Amino acid sequence: MAINRRQFLIGAGGLAAAATTVGLAGCAPGSGGGTGSEGGGGGEGGTANLALAWWGNPTRNKNTQAMIDAYMKANSNVKITGQPGEFSSYWDKLATQTAGGTAPDIIQMDMAYIAEYGNRGALMDLKDVDVSKFVEGTVDSGKINDTLVGVNAGINTPLIFGNPKVFEKAKVDLPDDTTWTWDQMSEVAAEVASKSGVPFGLAAFFTSDQMFSAFLRQNGKELFNPDGLAFEPADAQAWFDLMVKFQKAKAIGTPQQISEEFNKPLDQGALVVGKAAMQHYHSNQLEAVNAASGEEMRLLRTPSLTGKATERKAWYKASMLWSVSAKTKSPEAAVAWINWFANDPAAADIEKAERGIPPNSELQEHVRPKLSPAQQTVAKHIADIKPELAPTPIAPPPGGGTLGQVMGRYQTDVLFGRASTADAAKKFVDEVKSNLQV
Amino acid sequence: MSAISELSTVHRVKAKTPEEKRLAAKEAGRDNKAGYLFLLPWLIGLIVITIGPMLASLYLSFTNYSLIQAPRWIGLENYGRMLTDERLHNSLKVTFIYVFVSTPLQLAVALAIALLLNEGMRGLAFYRSVFYLPSMLGASVAIAVLWRQMFEVDGLVNQVLRLLGFEATISWIGDPQWALWTIILLHVWTFGSPMVIFLAGLRQIPGMYYEAAAVDGAGWWVRFTNITLPLLSPIIFFNLVLQIINAFQAFTQAYVVSNGSGGPSDSTMFYTLYLYQKGFVQFQMGYASAMAWLLVVIIAAFTAINFWASKHWVFYGD
Repeated sequence: MAINRRQFLIGAGGLAAAATTVGLAGCAPGSGGGTGSEGGGGGEGGTANLALAWWGNPTRNKNTQAMIDAYMKANSNVKITGQPGEFSSYWDKLATQTAGGTAPDIIQMDMAYIAEYGNRGALMDLKDVDVSKFVEGTVDSGKINDTLVGVNAGINTPLIFGNPKVFEKAKVDLPDDTTWTWDQMSEVAAEVASKSGVPFGLAAFFTSDQMFSAFLRQNGKELFNPDGLAFEPADAQAWFDLMVKFQKAKAIGTPQQISEEFNKPLDQGALVVGKAAMQHYHSNQLEAVNAASGEEMRLLRTPSLTGKATERKAWYKASMLWSVSAKTKSPEAAVAWINWFANDPAAADIEKAERGIPPNSELQEHVRPKLSPAQQTVAKHIADIKPELAPTPIAPPPGGGTLGQVMGRYQTDVLFGRASTADAAKKFVDEVKSNLQV
Repeated sequence: MSAISELSTVHRVKAKTPEEKRLAAKEAGRDNKAGYLFLLPWLIGLIVITIGPMLASLYLSFTNYSLIQAPRWIGLENYGRMLTDERLHNSLKVTFIYVFVSTPLQLAVALAIALLLNEGMRGLAFYRSVFYLPSMLGASVAIAVLWRQMFEVDGLVNQVLRLLGFEATISWIGDPQWALWTIILLHVWTFGSPMVIFLAGLRQIPGMYYEAAAVDGAGWWVRFTNITLPLLSPIIFFNLVLQIINAFQAFTQAYVVSNGSGGPSDSTMFYTLYLYQKGFVQFQMGYASAMAWLLVVIIAAFTAINFWASKHWVFYGD
């Protein structure tokens, strides 16, 4: 043999050592990507250098770069560098950059993460941003401990999309979403699924923390309050029991099918590929879903317990927010840009409603005629549900952003008969509570 | 550089007269300096990219570190929490099943194919490339996505089963009972790189042993167990050590097949995936660092056991 024992031992040992050290090597402080804000006097007269990070899709990337260019043209003393990204890797990168002190100056933020950063002092107080024209209920989502650390970049609302073609095929009428109850939703879903032959009457519904939130609010609870978790194991059990009831009624597919739908990318979702009659989404996703499916989906309100949409306690959600790193060297310039985005028609002309309907009521009027048909449908829906709104839910506290994932895991256990709804609900609440404490 | 000149003094011992000593030392020093100079790029890499971050993560494992705030020293608390973390225990179980099922299976398949290819068939280079292909693709995102679609309720696998008359309604990817096995299968499928190493090893076994055995009337099985296996044992050992280390660190397949969730129901929650979730999703980088060190210890322990056991079954010809 060509390898003798000693060479081999040394070689393999070395490989073993090298292979085991990959682990967290990249996570040490100071190892963040070095693309943050460099230099940039920022003060009056000097040039401010801003890094602006967002996640998105090709349309958003194009729009945002166009906005940056337009802004720089009008403000020659500001230089903005765009950092487009993709949602899942965006948060790894942002966390590493923040750890390394090189976070971008302006950060596109998500409701699930805003408290992680805001509560730990990583985001600047944005009291200087003018939000006076924002629609009621659209400013508070960006407040952490009463400090505004995120400015709503677009309104959406959690709802249900229905595929009219599937309903047509089943010869079932689309439900009246202003009067339907949870039980009626189950009946309609089961009927349309069996008559049209699609696996899901209603897809990706019970595993959504937003739909759980809708259910809790109608029962006088919330996901979170400032002290932490705002529901009991009994509430979670009621939600799990309802899911089992829907499943037994054949309204939401088999456990196998439900399990497959977890975390599916938008273009592979059940509704998009024609395997579902209805599915839970957020309103700003309508354009993308229509484009991916080639259908014109109908917007349906979430049901109510009482059969009155005005009692369903709907809310406007910030589809995303603008935050500023607490370590920015040009706070005024960063605030000025967000102000421009939030209040200037020139910005809205480019952005339209890609990130959601503008929270600024004047801009809403300004962009309405310029919207695509799908966006107009959404804008109308957002305006229509105004009488149905209840106070905006607070942002999940640190550790709470993953509630949906934790819930989905225990729901899978229930669906596959590995746990009772009572046990799963208790464990679910325990785990979320322990996540909140760390 | 002072450390280098110190090391070079070792060579002085051999010289006899003071004059010889001086000359020898000078020469040795020069040689060593050149050697270390050539080593420098690697050495810098080792210190900056490997040892430095490792020490940093060792320190972080004793802290509460959210990535956003500065690390806070908490002593052994992270390690203590690991004792009661049920999801961590589950992730260890998943990883152990994966390692100890997929590694032997993969090596067995690799050896079998290598033996087949070693029979000197026509077009060997072509077949070798074809069988090696999955190794290059296996860890890729595209294949993991494809895998996911193949094993869905209405995926290719079930469609074939239905053609064969089975009533296939299981989602191999969506059922917690089966999801891990699809990833094990994916790993076994990437048998190409150990196969190529086996093939090289088989080529080195002198043909005369087989001829002599054949003359003595030894059948295929006897030749395999008495000639091939013993002479190939260092190669088997080499593959075993590498593949076990590799398997413990599996991440990409599980991440993509479960879309990063480790689901359904944590059934594909590999240790590395849980570590990633703790660090980057839940911002518990101190805990994740402690987990990384537990993995280092586990892999080191298994590698040590492997080396110890090798004394009893690995046969070095020299």
